[in-house]
Amino acid sequence: MISERKPAKICRYGMAVDIDKCTGCGACMIACAVENNVPPGNPDATDLTGITWLRVFKVDNGEEYPRKESVYFPMMCQQCGVETPCYLVCPQQAVDVDPATGIVFQMPERCLGCRYCMAACPYHSRYFNWWDPKWPAGMEKTLNPDVAPRMRGVVEKCNYCHGRWHAARQRAAEAGETEISPGDYVPACVEACPAGAIQFGDLNDPTSAPAIAAKDPESFRLLVKLGTDPKVYYHSKREWARRIGDPSQAPSPKEPSRG
Amino acid sequence: MDRRFIPAGVSRCSTAKFLLWLAPWAALLAFGLYSAGLCLVKGLNQTHMNNRFAFGLWIFLDLTVIALGAGAFFTGFLLYILKRKELRAVINSAVVIGLMCYGGAMAVLGVDVGQPLRAWFTFWYPNVHSMLTEVTFCISCYLTVLLIEYVPIVLKNRKLRQIPHFLVFQHELHKLVYVFAGVGTFLSFFHQGSLGGLYGVLRGRPFAFREELGIWPTTFFLFILSAAAVGPSFILLTTWLVQKISGKRLVRPQVLQSLGRISGLLLAAYVLLKTLDTLVWLNRTTPRSGFLPAQYYAWKPFGVWILAVEMALFLVPMVILLTPKLRARAGWLVSSAAMACCGVAVNRFVLTIQTLALPTLSFDRFLQYLPSWQETGTFLAVLAAAVLVYSISFRYFELFPEERELRREPSGRPETAPAMAGK
Amino acid sequence: MRNTRRNVLKFIGGAAAGAVLTPVPWRLITDTALLSENWPGVPRPLRGEVSARYTNCSVCNAGCAVRARCVGGQPVSLAGVKGHPLSRGGLCAVGVAAHQLPYCAGRLTQGPVEAAAGVIARAAANCNAATAGTPGAVCNPTESIAVLDLRPGRTASWTYRRAMGAVRNGLYLTAAGPFSGAAVDLSKTHTVLSLGAPVLDGWGTPGNVLATRANFRLIQAEAIESRTASLADLWLRIQPGSASALAMGIAAALKKGSVADGAAATGLTERQITDLAADLTQHGPALVLPGYDCPGAWALNQLTGGWGEAVVARREAPVPEQWKNCAPVTGLESVPDGSIRTLIIDESAPGDYVPWGAIRRKLVADNPVVIAFAWSPDGYRRHALLTVPTAVYPETLEDIPAAIDSPAPVFRLAAPLIAAPAGVVNPPEFVAKAVGIDATNALRERADAIRKAGRGVLITYADGRTRPVAQVTPEDFWKALNEGACWMDTESRRTAPPAMDLPVLDAQPFEHTRMSFAVLAETATAAAAPVSPLMTKLDRESNLRLGRSRAALHPETARSCGTADGRRAMLETALGKCPIEVVVDASVPPGVVQVAASPEVIDICGASARARVAPL
Repeated sequence: MISERKPAKICRYGMAVDIDKCTGCGACMIACAVENNVPPGNPDATDLTGITWLRVFKVDNGEEYPRKESVYFPMMCQQCGVETPCYLVCPQQAVDVDPATGIVFQMPERCLGCRYCMAACPYHSRYFNWWDPKWPAGMEKTLNPDVAPRMRGVVEKCNYCHGRWHAARQRAAEAGETEISPGDYVPACVEACPAGAIQFGDLNDPTSAPAIAAKDPESFRLLVKLGTDPKVYYHSKREWARRIGDPSQAPSPKEPSRG
Repeated sequence: MDRRFIPAGVSRCSTAKFLLWLAPWAALLAFGLYSAGLCLVKGLNQTHMNNRFAFGLWIFLDLTVIALGAGAFFTGFLLYILKRKELRAVINSAVVIGLMCYGGAMAVLGVDVGQPLRAWFTFWYPNVHSMLTEVTFCISCYLTVLLIEYVPIVLKNRKLRQIPHFLVFQHELHKLVYVFAGVGTFLSFFHQGSLGGLYGVLRGRPFAFREELGIWPTTFFLFILSAAAVGPSFILLTTWLVQKISGKRLVRPQVLQSLGRISGLLLAAYVLLKTLDTLVWLNRTTPRSGFLPAQYYAWKPFGVWILAVEMALFLVPMVILLTPKLRARAGWLVSSAAMACCGVAVNRFVLTIQTLALPTLSFDRFLQYLPSWQETGTFLAVLAAAVLVYSISFRYFELFPEERELRREPSGRPETAPAMAGK
Repeated sequence: MRNTRRNVLKFIGGAAAGAVLTPVPWRLITDTALLSENWPGVPRPLRGEVSARYTNCSVCNAGCAVRARCVGGQPVSLAGVKGHPLSRGGLCAVGVAAHQLPYCAGRLTQGPVEAAAGVIARAAANCNAATAGTPGAVCNPTESIAVLDLRPGRTASWTYRRAMGAVRNGLYLTAAGPFSGAAVDLSKTHTVLSLGAPVLDGWGTPGNVLATRANFRLIQAEAIESRTASLADLWLRIQPGSASALAMGIAAALKKGSVADGAAATGLTERQITDLAADLTQHGPALVLPGYDCPGAWALNQLTGGWGEAVVARREAPVPEQWKNCAPVTGLESVPDGSIRTLIIDESAPGDYVPWGAIRRKLVADNPVVIAFAWSPDGYRRHALLTVPTAVYPETLEDIPAAIDSPAPVFRLAAPLIAAPAGVVNPPEFVAKAVGIDATNALRERADAIRKAGRGVLITYADGRTRPVAQVTPEDFWKALNEGACWMDTESRRTAPPAMDLPVLDAQPFEHTRMSFAVLAETATAAAAPVSPLMTKLDRESNLRLGRSRAALHPETARSCGTADGRRAMLETALGKCPIEVVVDASVPPGVVQVAASPEVIDICGASARARVAPL
């Protein structure tokens, strides 16, 4: 099994997201769906039953105009490093944490569809296939051959475009290298972002963007006190935005704005 | 027509009347099977569950019926291990109820998962860290135990007993009843507990997450205790209901009162420990997770009242059931048993539905969930199947050994259930 | 062994027990999982050699450079090309999935091609031969045949001009407004006042806007909290429909006149307007960008010091001399009403959607002939007599006009990555052929003319090189353009555009009436409608965008209209009605219907209108 293999070099892949740069264009969301063969939404799908491995939210500071400020907040699997909730609760080990990369990956072929992992995830980054996936006629030609499509009744989630990691390993092997070079393995969302708001890298490499963000006092992570050690570092110059990660600071219940 | 199959010494209504009783339940079962069939064929989009409400009506009702069906193991434990002889009067009924509760829960789980064909994966690739693995193993094994315990009840039927092999088989099986009771208790301890552990380990849901005792969260033990407390109440309730519907005296009043007292004692222990646990959870566990207790009850409609109702539904029956004068009166006895059962339902509801409704991220919205008719129908199938199997068992098998003696005795104290002769 | 029932049963029991000890039943158990992994209809992705091909995205005028990852020749994913001087590696949400456009539901592949060719040929012949009172003439002497080009500035546009030039009473029409032929230079501006233009939401070239964002302060004046408004440095919430009034108010402030009217109409204070005007002059060069409902506000740039700096004239890429003898460019508004007999609408390349009412007015009252060239069923096909199907990106070979924020002339091709289905046509070649002109090599001729002019550089994407065009042979130039490259004229001098008159405006204060005010949202994506089926991720499977056929209402407005979140309703204006789905959103101002732009909505709303929302 993958978890039992001894890795040559331990990477801890993470992301650094600058929410001051994100414009909410959604290119990352679409690139993710294209790369990972996520099917178009069923006509009856809503924002609670759709599949968006990466989802951008609009979050505001709770004030009204003119003091209202908003940011766009990309949310993907936080790849929890400690006490990974989904990994611990899956009854048939359909979730595995790869020690070589730190990526928490989901095996849809093993998944029973009990959705316990979805209840366990505080970041709501897991999605269930409520319908059979359907692509319009001809569109299956545009599917990525490196990623298996999933069927109805299984859970799926972001895995940092693991297929691209495999491809990068292959290229490194063909070039006679043992490790992939940084920059050769880039998830689809990172590549697609026109503003460069999402950066990717190895947290064990002090020169990578996530490692630098980890040390930046203007960075924050979500729900840190839960003890899950998420590997996505968000950054903002605005103090109110940095409190997004702290649920006790949430604005009081009111009629919500959409998003 | 089927007189030959009805146990000797008891009277049952005519076949026609029985079929008339069965007919609406059979219709309900058909509707429920159709609903379940829709969910299996078309997929879980037939329900109103979604990515935030990953668990809905089915899991909530599964947990509730398993808690209520705990009467099966607990009565067995009390009778065969702790030698509480008076419970022999209800053990068969308890086994049938337990079988239907657990069988129904497993059937609904088969519809609830997205890939029922892969149900065996949990046994083939078990995850030792996961509470759900423990639940699956223990419930499957316990269902087998219940089936084995049900077999003698069936084989003791008047006609089936005439086959020598069956008679020998059930007699030999009965010698092992202590083993099965012990195994059943052991398994139930673990699966009732791990059902509680399902939620108590959810680090990502501070509303459900609890401190650990050993390797188990406190909800592990609280679920066992609440199930053990409410199991006897449910047996009490169902026995009284069956007496009322059939118009027969099935057990002596002392049996029901004994069940009530056991329930009351365990409720007392439960209320004490639950109060302690709640205080620790609100004051220590929650702030450590970075949340504020007030956030749990800030969202309508789940205000603090739901916590108060949950506690009241355990506290009030506890008081009544521990007061001998009140316990002796059927009205108080039965209504407090019903309250305790509702209390456990509210407790499971809070941990299933409220946990998922509450936001975790600071920009989450509070969500509402109402089950679809397909979900409700599927569960009604379980109810209908339970009533059907119980009715058939009641008619053809000896569920209440005391019934024969009570039929011969004159009706006694006015507080007992009225005997309508010759139904 | 005797053949007794007991022996048979013993044999079966023993066999079963023995089988359990073999791998057979355990293998069979695992095989049951196969049933759950291969379901009917499971798609099989293509297998084949993986290659990269380059092109430019023709979904909008940004024309962002695209690297397509192809499997066996079929594009499976698209990405931007870093290092491109304009698009800078940016590719928007629509562009990233644009390789799926050919597979949209309802995409047109069949149509009355022969009939349309015949109609155009006859109409042209009749126009040429028409004299007063000729019986059976399709075209009276005063009536014209016209082509409405919704994406002017292409080589195809020249083909249409040539075709219409060959026909008497032939008109080449655009709806581009007075500002075509000019561009903005974001790198030269320090303050941008956008009057509702979706600057950060699909305007211009997104990669360029984001790269220059740090240079300028963005002030967004808009009635609704659009994406740009929420991200701007300052959002001025003005009354719906008062963008023109704000422009007039600023003009008045700059000329030291009274801003009282502007303040009353917009809901801002006089101080805010005068401060805004001061901002534009003191922190210049400033740029005023009109929104969808106030195109005349371009003229304001003449007063803010940006004219000639931030707003410049832009020439087209060189054109073969022999083409210049052709029909002139005519604005749709300047055509007399009721004078067009045969109208050809080229909708094949996404551009601004003109409300049908504005077009219908120009057609003759009785039996006009409208032929639409489209690949999508949602646009003018609803109004046209004949709809001829066309190819769609990435099946097409076409050039992309320069974007509004590209001050230098550019020429780039969208190269075909997949074959178009049989039955679709190339609209400009089709129209030209019908009137007797051969335009099959138009793009090659254009490329040769550009190469011959000898100016500018060729930027190739595969190797990231930039070479002066003079160093490239005409063959290589054409080949490079077909393999994804961009020509850019780096040598033009910056000049100011021709002077524009400030529009005279009757500033009306906004009044709350029982009718709500419909404000168009997401106007940039409306131009690129429809989009890949995956775009449901943005509007249906998340709340990032409103999405077509949806309108957002404030909770109070929804209640007063008798509707609620998720309900279907009818949006009614004086011009018609269309069904919508209601979304309740507390950030929408009360009394406003924020409706996502789409052809049906624009038909009944225009740029903005008074509307009613009635529950269905």
